[in-house]
Amino acid sequence: MNRASTLLGAESLFWELITAPEGVRPGLEALVRAGKADASAIESFLGGDERLPAAERLDIYANMYFFRLLDCLREDFPRLATALGEERFHNLATDYLLAHPSANPSLRYLGERLPAFFAGHALARQSACLADLTVLEWTRADLFDAADARALGRDDVAPLAGAHGGDLPLRTVPAFRLLRLEHDAPALWRELRDRDAQDSGSASQPDVTPAAGGPDSTGAGADAVAGAESAAATWGAGAANAARLGEEAGGRCQAGHVHDGRPAPPLPQQRRRKTAARVWRRGFTVFHRAIEDEEADLLELVAEGTVLSRVAQRLSAGRSQARATEAVGRLLQAWLDAGILAAEPLR
Amino acid sequence: MPPASLGHGVGLRREHFERVLSAPTRIDWFEVISENFMADGGRPLDVLDRVRARYPVVLHGVSLSIGSTDPLNEPYLDRLAALARRTEPAWVSDHLCWAGFGGHFAHDLLPLPYTEEALAHVVSRVHRVQERLGRPIALENVSSYVTFRQSSLTEWEFLAEIARRSGCGILLDVNNIYVSSRNHGFDPRAYIEGIPKEAVWQFHLAGHSDKGTFLLDTHDHPVPDPVWELYEHALRRFGRVSALVEWDDHIPTFERLEEESLRARQIEARVLGDVLTPAEASR
Repeated sequence: MNRASTLLGAESLFWELITAPEGVRPGLEALVRAGKADASAIESFLGGDERLPAAERLDIYANMYFFRLLDCLREDFPRLATALGEERFHNLATDYLLAHPSANPSLRYLGERLPAFFAGHALARQSACLADLTVLEWTRADLFDAADARALGRDDVAPLAGAHGGDLPLRTVPAFRLLRLEHDAPALWRELRDRDAQDSGSASQPDVTPAAGGPDSTGAGADAVAGAESAAATWGAGAANAARLGEEAGGRCQAGHVHDGRPAPPLPQQRRRKTAARVWRRGFTVFHRAIEDEEADLLELVAEGTVLSRVAQRLSAGRSQARATEAVGRLLQAWLDAGILAAEPLR
Repeated sequence: MPPASLGHGVGLRREHFERVLSAPTRIDWFEVISENFMADGGRPLDVLDRVRARYPVVLHGVSLSIGSTDPLNEPYLDRLAALARRTEPAWVSDHLCWAGFGGHFAHDLLPLPYTEEALAHVVSRVHRVQERLGRPIALENVSSYVTFRQSSLTEWEFLAEIARRSGCGILLDVNNIYVSSRNHGFDPRAYIEGIPKEAVWQFHLAGHSDKGTFLLDTHDHPVPDPVWELYEHALRRFGRVSALVEWDDHIPTFERLEEESLRARQIEARVLGDVLTPAEASR
């Protein structure tokens, strides 16, 4: 049998071998058992020599395949990677890539299905709060390059309301998401971010330090990571990350499940606590912030498109007129300052 | 006819965004990874627009997968075409490789068997991509670690024939030629001699890692001497061609990267004479 004699056959065999979760040789053994290849398939379709036999040459591609994607997932889920530790994250990536190989030409979408996958993974049963952290991290990555839109500023309010009969139309910018979580993922994210900063010897930057109970301006009270640091995973080198082939020689550099024998960090445990959060990008910085249920309900309205009088009406329930007015003013100011209300689509 | 030389460029990486935009550079042009800018908004596109306002830019893709037996990815081509309309690059390039199978992507540059079947397959797809983009594209030779027993052509014969039949340009990666020559035991100068002069639009220069039994195309080192020597050989054969230094891991300061590009400029001046490129002349 020489299934690799055509281009289709060659690509198909090559692909099955380099994406086999436990490596090229075990991958071939599985194909032989399934009657899809014979034991000499690699040597009969690829050249090799004493210095570097064909199967080892194919291993180079297998390692590059796995480690590039692992690095990409680590870039999009940095706090999850910290929480899990290297070995668990590596094994989660192995499981994920087996279930969901990349289906988009851009690496940017590789992690798109990890939140749903994680929710059904054994790790989520051991640490349910991590499922919510995964949702938060993907949302942040997803908003990094979401469509731009001019945010409504304080100076826009009066003219815009005037043009709409005194009422102010409200809609969120495209780079905005409202999350309804089962755990306080924002608190966990902050804890892990601080652990990362401690491990790397750098203090948290002042502008990203949460100011508990402070006013919600651009950064205060919200967790942000600016610019490059929060960049969605991108293509780097042709094979740059595979440089570790040499550096991690001795068995650790392998796709498939690993057991490195090093102590893993204890998995975070949080009591279940329904938490709403808003995630948005202002300029090129992605922010998130835990919010009260009332604000979340109102943002749900705004995300669909509403008017300020409707928000005011909802806030008037159970409040005096004065307190309702004050609550509307406070929320509107917070949203304007955060940059989550869209200006242009409403004009 | 190949496009006139843009001079000496470097690959634009996000570690250098601020530096490139905040002060003048000694770089003539930038190459960007197309996929990293196929976004709806945000910082990457903003940076690209601002860099493009100051420099010529080339779009260099990694996921066209021109040699794959999967159908061409239509949404990908739409995004590439849109990015090209927005950026107005000097040209658009990708790699002579396949990058996925069965609807899935390796995000790697996988080698092709050099057969008549693969040749016809790639040529027909290059035609379709060029029609779709409304412009010829350039294809780059990749570093490889395996050869296919069924290959009936050398890599340079395969590449030259694709350029001849499809009208595409060649992005000749000098480092990749060197890496593959060491991994497969061929003469890198024979490769260069086998490429038609008029087909080469651009050179790539980069570093690699020696793994003992093979060289790995890591782009994480300075350009090593054997690659500079091969670059000189290429200059003698192809003349003045746009040259670009890639450095993608263990990324140095922008000034260090500039030094590497200046070295390429000096070598070109020594080999071909100190003639201003159009970019230099216009400054």
